[in-house]
Formats: sequence, structure tokens, C-alpha cells
Amino acid sequence: MAGIRRRSLFTAAAAGAATLGAPALLSGCGKSGGAKELTFWNFYAPNPNPGDPTLAAQSKWFEDMVAAWNREHETKIRLQYVTILGTPKLATAFAADEGPDIFLISPGDILRYYNAGVLTDLTPYLTKEAIADFSRPNMDTRLVGDRVYALPMEIEPLAMFYSKPLMESVGVTADSDLPTTWDEMLALGEKLKRAKKPPIVFCAAPGYYQNFTWYPWMWQGGGNAISADGKHSAFDSPGAVHALNLYKQTIQRGISPRVEPANADGALALMQGYAAAYHTGIWSVAEFRHRKPKFPYGVFAPPTPPGGTPKTVLGGWAFVANARGRDPETAAKFCAWAIGSMEQDSIDRVVDWCTKAKADIAPRKSALELATRNGGYDDPIMKKFKDEIFPTGRGEPRYPPVVYKAISDAIQACQLTGADPRQQAELASKQIDAYLKSYEGGRIL
Amino acid sequence: MTAVAQAPAGAPSTTSGRRPTSRRRREALAAMLFLAPDMLGLLLFLGIPMVACLVLGFFQVDGFGGYKWIGLGNYERMFADPLFLHSLRTTLLYLVILIPGLFVVSLALALLVRQRFPLVGLVRSMLFAPNVVSLVVVALVWKFMLTDQIGVIDRILGFFGVTAPSWLGTPKWAVGSILVVTIWFAMGYYMLIFLAGLQDIPREYYEVAKLDGAGPWQTFRHITWPLLKPTSFFILLTSTVSMMTGGLDLLYVLTSGGPANSTTLIIYYIYQQAFVYGEFGYASAIGAFLVVILLIWSAALFALTRGGRFGDGDK
Repeated sequence: MAGIRRRSLFTAAAAGAATLGAPALLSGCGKSGGAKELTFWNFYAPNPNPGDPTLAAQSKWFEDMVAAWNREHETKIRLQYVTILGTPKLATAFAADEGPDIFLISPGDILRYYNAGVLTDLTPYLTKEAIADFSRPNMDTRLVGDRVYALPMEIEPLAMFYSKPLMESVGVTADSDLPTTWDEMLALGEKLKRAKKPPIVFCAAPGYYQNFTWYPWMWQGGGNAISADGKHSAFDSPGAVHALNLYKQTIQRGISPRVEPANADGALALMQGYAAAYHTGIWSVAEFRHRKPKFPYGVFAPPTPPGGTPKTVLGGWAFVANARGRDPETAAKFCAWAIGSMEQDSIDRVVDWCTKAKADIAPRKSALELATRNGGYDDPIMKKFKDEIFPTGRGEPRYPPVVYKAISDAIQACQLTGADPRQQAELASKQIDAYLKSYEGGRIL
Repeated sequence: MTAVAQAPAGAPSTTSGRRPTSRRRREALAAMLFLAPDMLGLLLFLGIPMVACLVLGFFQVDGFGGYKWIGLGNYERMFADPLFLHSLRTTLLYLVILIPGLFVVSLALALLVRQRFPLVGLVRSMLFAPNVVSLVVVALVWKFMLTDQIGVIDRILGFFGVTAPSWLGTPKWAVGSILVVTIWFAMGYYMLIFLAGLQDIPREYYEVAKLDGAGPWQTFRHITWPLLKPTSFFILLTSTVSMMTGGLDLLYVLTSGGPANSTTLIIYYIYQQAFVYGEFGYASAIGAFLVVILLIWSAALFALTRGGRFGDGDK
């Protein structure tokens, strides 16, 4: 009897597991949610790491914004934290037609999503005054024609961050000692190397981010990846070749490491003494502010080649509404309400994000003026970014994956295998031209 | 039913004759129910995706729900794609070094921990420990250890006056580093399988060999190695499949396929095509091609070793 009972128990357990397990497995394949709630995928909130002071401030900004919307509107917004967007989660969600209603996008991805018809045209929900309020060099890559498809929440220029104590140890004691040309920068790198000090760090890991950090060096010498009409490659140019050679020189002369220290966290690498200078973005200011506010660091504009012009790249994420979401109209209204309206709350929100939660350049003229009046750029580093570096900026390009990959392979080959920059530029240029011949879609900028 | 039909005259009554059948049915039902969640899981997460992958390989998929039939277009593109061919070559070279390396290290460790010495259980556990850690964590720890100049390995070498290369930033060293980390991670698991195979070999064989005056090498060559052939076959087969289709997380964290595509193994290339460029159709076609390669390899291994028996009967 005991055996039978045991067997019966096992049978029942197996049946139970099968019955309970099947719906649980199947539920992963179904659609969820209703039209009364829209999801907003982002990588800030709800805060997955309350112990991180930088993230806590940023998460609060998102939560306050959504709480304000939810108080006033019938259709609620639900924040969903996902690791950095542009990862498999977002790609898989859209492939399954289960994309979020609202999400954050970087300029590099805009064209791919626009060409697939996934982005809602936000123009009808914005006033002309509000559209004109967004800074144009940065806004260009979020427009198709005169239509707005993404609303920037921040502008993130790149610059050279440096550790004052380490620079002083090799005799760089005044601003006038800081390099302003590529040659001076390379000479400084060699000086640090000879003194056995930590290096100047440039991004070496392959990927969209490395391309993003490399573009301004190409632009400084007048180079471009794509012609002005967007139909031909312009990569086989002296500007591109010189920039490829710059990255090659930084490695060959032992100025920059082949692998970035501190897991590519520029602020951390400087704070811990793993780098004397780091080519990184304005977001590092917030890292210093929250982690080690008294750390003595400085910033200088990216040096230029002979006869070149100062240039940096303007990164930053933007709000977009999914045209195939559950309620694209409300999603678009939310984006406009949150950071794209001329209402004071909307402008204040941009100011708070760019000067309190983070340390960025405000993407709207009104917000930048207000933030400046409120002292948001009084800090010498932020002032330098706003007054000297940001005006030299150009919006992050929106190159399709094939163009990005051709450029990435050229950078990697020159930087890490010592390949000939001219040959690599020619090779990449041919690949880009071959792709552009059959390309159909929004203009490549 | 068979039991009832074959029941001899005078056997227990019909009622008692049904008992074994009924019990067997109940047991069969229980077995099926126990297996059902697993089978359902396999069907949902392995069977259906495999079929979908084969089908998707014939479509151009934009990653946003758009599908266009292109027949063998993805396969034609594959063989004209220099990066695919590069990743295929890199993968084959990687496997040619990895599989024998993993095999030898695992076997050597199994032979070592088969011996009886103090704390042997602890040593076995420590060797197996990397297997219970997430591969992402393994990769992160190794990445920190291998970082140029400030990683612990460079610091130790520097202490002895040795200038270390850039383990993850130089193409040839990056491939070598991936190989070492992979062997370190996987050796404990295959060591355990070898150990099970070794423990199946009767001790009497070794005792007789000892009486006959055989040394360690002769014992290994004439007793251990022949009797380990089925285990060796199993390890060769499963490690090749596992190493060719796994380890994406390791590559992603350690090198992102770099420097200059030097560690872009085929599995990483599939990931890039699908999830970075949204080319799900092309990625599926490469995935299907990978399955074909593995099937050919498995069939060849079965044929060459006569199903793991190596022509030695059932040894």
C-alpha cells in the first residue's frame, strides 16, 4: 500500500508539474498588458541598484516624471528597466512585434527603426516653437526631412578628461601646457610613457561606441564617411586616413593601451590612477560628482591635426514612440509632454535632467539658458563643455549597420593590427559604396 | 495485453492477471507525466526554434516583422561574405587547438584525481567549481586579471621582470587567452566524465598488470586507454558540439569579437548578424549551416570509431 501511495503521489506530482508548467512556458509567448498602460523601456528606472548614487538620482527623475503624467492622464505609463538599449532584448521584442510603447534610442539606431516604420512621427504633437527650441546640430540626426522622429533628452559631447596630479607629475601644470594638436598629444603620451605613468586612453573595443568616439578625429581633418547627398562613400579621404593613422600611432608608440582599464569606465580609471587622460564624454562629470567630488581632474578639447578645425561628436539618447505600439498617439503625446513642450514643467524637466540628475548639455535652447541662469554650468568643467566644446559639436551619425561595420573594421585593423590606413580607407569605402547602391530609406547623415 | 494473452491455464484469475498490465500502464503514465514538462520545454525552446531557424534561413528578415522569401539567397551571400569565411576559418582553427587541448587536460586531471591522496575530494570539487559559476562572471574575472599592465597576471609577471603582451588586445594572444579561459572553465566537467569512465575499469586489470611488471605508461597504454575509448568518443563528440555552439557570453564579455575580428567565432558572428544588425534571416542560415557541419562531424566520428567502439567490440 505504501508503494502504491508513493507511486500515486509521484503520478500526481508529475501531472501537477505538467499542468502547471505548460501554461507557464506558453505564457512567455503571449501578448501582455492592455491599452490603459503603456510601457517605457529605459536603462535608469526602476532603479536596479539603489546603492549607486549616480543611478539613484537619474532613476528618481524618471519616476517623478512618470508619476506626474500618471496623476493627470487616464492612460498610465509603466517604467521598465532594461539593460542598455540596442541589445538583444529590444531587437527580440521588435522581431516578435512586442516592442515597448516608448523607449530610448541613440542616433546610431534611428535610421534602422525609421526605415522599418517603427517610429511615430512626433511633429503633430509639437509646436513649431518647441521644434525650433531644440539645438539644430544635435537635432539633425533625429529628423527625416522636416519631421521629428525622436526627442533628445540630453547632449553628450566628448572631450579629453585628465587627472591633474598625474599631469603635474610630468610637468603639465597650467592650461597652456595642455596639448592642442595631435602631435602635442602624442608627445605628451610619450612623455607619460617615459616617466612610467599611466597612459592616455582611447577606446579600443570594437563596436558602435568605438566608432562614435573616432568620428570627431576624422571630421577635424575635413573627412566624412558619406558624401553630403548621402549617396556615395566619402571615406577614402585624407581626413579619414589621418584619423585612422592617429589611432594606429597611439598603439604603435605605446601611448594608449590595447585594452581599456577599469572596464572602460573613464571616470573610474582616472580616479583609481589607471589613466592619466581619457577620451570620454560629459557623462563622466556626474560620475566624479557622485563618486569622488574632490578628485582633481580637468578637461581639454580634443586636439586637432595640422590645418584642422576643432570638432567633437554630440551623443545622447532620445525619447521615441513605437508606431506599432498599443497606443502610438498617447505614447507620442507623452514624449512631447515630457521633454518637448513649451510648458515650464517640460523645460524644467530638461534642466533637471541635464544639470541635477546628470551632467549634460541641455538639448533645448530655453533649457540651456534657464540652466545657465540657475547656475547649472557655473562649475568650470561644465562651463568649458558648454562654451568651448559643445559649439564645436556635430550630431552623432546615423549610419546603417553595414556602413558602421566597414568603418569599425578599418579602425580596428589600423589600431590593433597596424594595417595601412590608406588601404583600409579604400577597402571600407568600396564596401560603403557597394551598400549605398541598393540602399533605400531615410537620408544617411 | 501480452501478459494476459500469454497467461497459462490455471493461472490467476482475469482480475489478478490485469494487475501487472494495469501497474505497467500506471507506471508508463507516470513516466510520461514526469517527462512531459521536459519534453514540452524541449519542444518549445529547442524543437520549434530549430525548425524556425531552418525556415527563416530562406527569408530576408528585417527584424521588425517583415519577411521576404529569397530562397537560397542567404546561403549564396554566406559564401561571398569574407567576414563569414573569416569567422569559419577562425572557428575551425580554434577547435583544432581547443578540443585536443581540453581532452588532454581533462584526462590528465581525471588520472590525477583518481589517485587516493589527502583532500582529493576537495581538489575534485575545486576543479569542477568553475562550472557552477556563470560564464559571464568567469569572463569578467578573467578580463580584470588579463587587463594590460594593471591586471594581476601582468603584475605578477612584472614582479619577475617579464613584460607581458596585451592578452586581449593583440589578435594572436586574444585567441590564446580565449582558449586558456575556455579550457579552464570546461576541464572540470570533462574531467568528471573521464573519472566516471576510469572508475568503470575493473581494478583487477591493474592488479594483474602490476603482477606482470607493467609500468605506469604500459598500464595506461594497454589497459586505461583502450577501455576509455567509449568515454573518449563521447567527450570528443559532445565537447566539439558544445564548444562550437557555446561560449558566446565569454566572447562577448572578454573581447567582443576583437581585436580586429580575431576572436569573432562563428557563434559570435551569428549573434552579431541577428542582434546587432537585425539580420535574422542571414543569422538563421548561418545557424543552419552550423548544424549541418556538426551533423557531418558527428556522422564522421561515428563512422570512424564505429559508434565509439573503435572496432573493439563492446569494450
